[in-house]
Parts: sequence; structure tokens; C-alpha cells
Amino acid sequence: MSVVNYGTREITCKIVYYGPGRSGKTTNLQHVYSKLPEERKGKMVSLATETDRTLFFDFLPLDLGTISGFATRFQLYTVPGQVYYAATRKLVLQGVDGVVFVADSQSRQLAENIESLQDLHANLADEGLDPRTIPLVMQYNKRDLPAGEISAIEDLDETLNFRGVPHYPATAVTGGGVFETLRSISTLVLSRLSAPATKGS
Amino acid sequence: MAREAGKEAEEGGEFADFLADVSKEIAQRVESLDKRATPAATSPAPAKKKTPLVADAGVIVEWPNVADRVIEEMR
Repeated sequence: MSVVNYGTREITCKIVYYGPGRSGKTTNLQHVYSKLPEERKGKMVSLATETDRTLFFDFLPLDLGTISGFATRFQLYTVPGQVYYAATRKLVLQGVDGVVFVADSQSRQLAENIESLQDLHANLADEGLDPRTIPLVMQYNKRDLPAGEISAIEDLDETLNFRGVPHYPATAVTGGGVFETLRSISTLVLSRLSAPATKGS
Repeated sequence: MAREAGKEAEEGGEFADFLADVSKEIAQRVESLDKRATPAATSPAPAKKKTPLVADAGVIVEWPNVADRVIEEMR
């Protein structure tokens, strides 16, 4: 996907929230949506159906207005975390500019986190994207749960964050860490606007 | 940029802070890109690179690149 288009004076960034089922990806988008000024509130599209498994994701367009002469739009997506929606995850990842990996901090969910991260890497590779270089931010969600039920940030980081990318503790259900995470991935994506390899720049 | 960022900052809240940061980042990047583009604009125009053709067949060799550019312009 083109991030910056000088011809049409547009900047478009596609950010995908990835992670295991019930880790809080949709809750992240819902919090962002709840904080949008009324005049900027478009439609948050949630396609959730039990019968049509090919369409099952959330989409939140963020029209940020004209910035430095560029009409700027962010497109936030979530993928379905459940294993059997693999095809949809691959579809949503097409043209992605940055990824937020929303991990479930619960200790008993560690295996699911690892599996989802491996799935992310495989799907990125299938899309011709390098999992080692694509803008990525880790979010360790559900930090509000009792200490005995969740893994320490350091342990999660050691297990999941082998790239050493920015990571954020979060309690998406109350909004904690949501915008910090979004701001971080946005900065990473935008920092590549001047990268020579950026298409359309 | 300042107009939008300032307007949103008045509204307060997490989104306004986010927008201000994003606006700042974009302004820096656009400035950086413009600086890179400026010397090329003032220097003598380079000879236009012709799309290579296969002489005998008349087939555009770099057609995927051409198609990419067309698609980008259409967006």
C-alpha cells in the first residue's frame, strides 16, 4: 500500500491489530472510536457473523483532515483471532503498513500468544513483507487482572518481543495504553514516509 | 499543520494529543521529503528516461512498473 501519494496529496496508513482471540483487539478500536470528536466520527464497521467466515473483522477509518497539505487517513483493522479464520487474517493483512500485536497477558494464554505471533509472521511472509522490519508494536493487554493470573511484562517481552520493538502495558477495556500504542505505531509507520523503498513516495 | 493541530488541541482529550503528535510527525516527514525533492526541481531537467522497448517485438519490458504508477495515480 502506498503511504504517501504526492500526486493526489494523500497519506494513507493501514494499521492492523493482530493477536489471539479475545485478547482485546476490538476493544482497542472501540476505545479509539469512543474518543473521536463527533465531527470526525465515521462508521466503525464490525463484521461479525457465524455463517460467513470469510468476513469477520473490524474496520475503523480515521480521517485526520489535511495535515501539511496532505489529506491524511488512517485505517485501523482488527483480524479475527480464532484459528479457523486464517484466510480472513491473510486478507486483512494485505497492504498493511504497521501492526499492533495485542497479546493477552494472562499466563494461561501464553501459548495462544505465541501461536498467533507465529501466524502473523507466516502471513506477513506470504504477503511478501519482512516480519523482521515491518513497523510493529507490542501491546500487553489486560494488565488490570489479578497479579497471580498474568505474566510479568518482562516475561512477556522475553517470550514474544524478540525484535525488541516498543511495548506497552494496556487495559483496553478502560482505555489504558490504547492511544499510547496507536501513537507509537503511527510514528513508526510515518517514519517510513521518507524511506527510499516506500512505494508511491 | 498548525491550524489542524491547534484546532484539535482545543478539543482536548486523547485523540487531540494523538492528532497533534501525528501532525508533528507528518510535518517533519513532508519537510524532509520536500527538501529531497527541491534540488531536483531546480537542477537542469534530466533527459527523460524512455521506457525500454523490445525493438523487434514492440513490447514494453517494464510494464509492471508502468502499471504500478498508473494504479498509484488512480488512487
